Amino acid sequence: MVSKTEETQLNRLENQVDNGGGGAWEYLCLARKLKVRRPENVLKYGLSILNDSKKRSALGPEEWTLYEQVAIAAMDCQCLDVAKDCIKVLRKKFPESKRVGRLEGMLLEAKGLWGEAEKAYSSLLEDNALDQVIHKRRVAMAKAQGNISAAIEWLNKYLEIFMADHDAWRELAEIYVSLQMYKQAAFCYEELILSQPTVPLYHLAYADVLYTLGGLENLQTAKKYYASTIDLTGGKNTRALLGICLCTSAIGQVSKGRNKEDKESPELQSLAAKALEKDYKQRADDKLGLLTSVLTSLKI
Amino acid sequence: MGLGFIFGVFGVLFLFHAAYSTIQYRGLLKIMEEEFSGPPMNVVLELLLGFVFCVSAALTVPGNFLSIHPDSEENRIVSLPANLDFMIFNHRAKALPLEIDMKLKH
Repeated sequence: MVSKTEETQLNRLENQVDNGGGGAWEYLCLARKLKVRRPENVLKYGLSILNDSKKRSALGPEEWTLYEQVAIAAMDCQCLDVAKDCIKVLRKKFPESKRVGRLEGMLLEAKGLWGEAEKAYSSLLEDNALDQVIHKRRVAMAKAQGNISAAIEWLNKYLEIFMADHDAWRELAEIYVSLQMYKQAAFCYEELILSQPTVPLYHLAYADVLYTLGGLENLQTAKKYYASTIDLTGGKNTRALLGICLCTSAIGQVSKGRNKEDKESPELQSLAAKALEKDYKQRADDKLGLLTSVLTSLKI
Repeated sequence: MGLGFIFGVFGVLFLFHAAYSTIQYRGLLKIMEEEFSGPPMNVVLELLLGFVFCVSAALTVPGNFLSIHPDSEENRIVSLPANLDFMIFNHRAKALPLEIDMKLKH
């Protein structure tokens, strides 16, 4: 999870290294710790360290982790020669390593040779049938080939064995959302919220899915989850604030014909609207007019 | 940090001195064959003073406390990690060439 301080630190380091101020190794370590995907920067700074033999020897045993990181970034940027060279160096140093075998499989994937990559992964799985990362690479390969149903099948089989892997649940939820299977996606998000209740972004995604499903109960639950997102982020998440406004007006529309139970107090919507206006005034003053027109159209 | 450190040193010295005084007091009482009910008042005062010094040093020397609220400005979660285990490589950036030709030079 990337917190606000870590994000500002990452951006600051990025600017610093871009302007020639050094600190490339710290940037690479932070990118690895936060698991962010910045392939061009990682490739540029990583190669600048690896090509300089003095800096390379100053790293000590961390050099090999850097080779792995640069190899993956190179595959992401389609510089397959760089990736191949890095993997060759790693293979020379660690001849019997499964981790290097996995990198070689990923290189075959990046080249588009799906059959050979599948063979490589199966041979790695023969030695160790419960290797989590290889299973996940198989799912990724199915997804990359466009075979989404096979990806879902593999992923479900994986989750039957490794039920606690929240990355996999998140991936499954995103695949279901892309296929518009919202009920299944809601189930996956529920699993995520159960295992990690303090991450506000899962609450937000769940509320989005419920709002998309529609219907009075789903809208009311979605409103509750938007509210919990606001609670967990200290009110700084604009999407959740807008979600509250939209949910309240949608609930009002759906229950217009029914008996006016009127347990919905309009305070929450007005509070959210006020918070949004303050935020916009501070950060994007020129778009404040857009916001006020949207909010007035919602207060039907 | 220097002042807090000095406070800590003084606090520890006061505590040791109070302990030594109490042991000596007990030895004196053993000679006079009286009951040991408790250390004298000034030793208790010295003990309390040493305690206050040590606690204030412990709070100031390590530096700023970090926030523990999950919704504070520093701790709030801004984005999720990019799910690198499921990363695929045939995305649209394949068509965008890199400006500089990168090579591993050895």
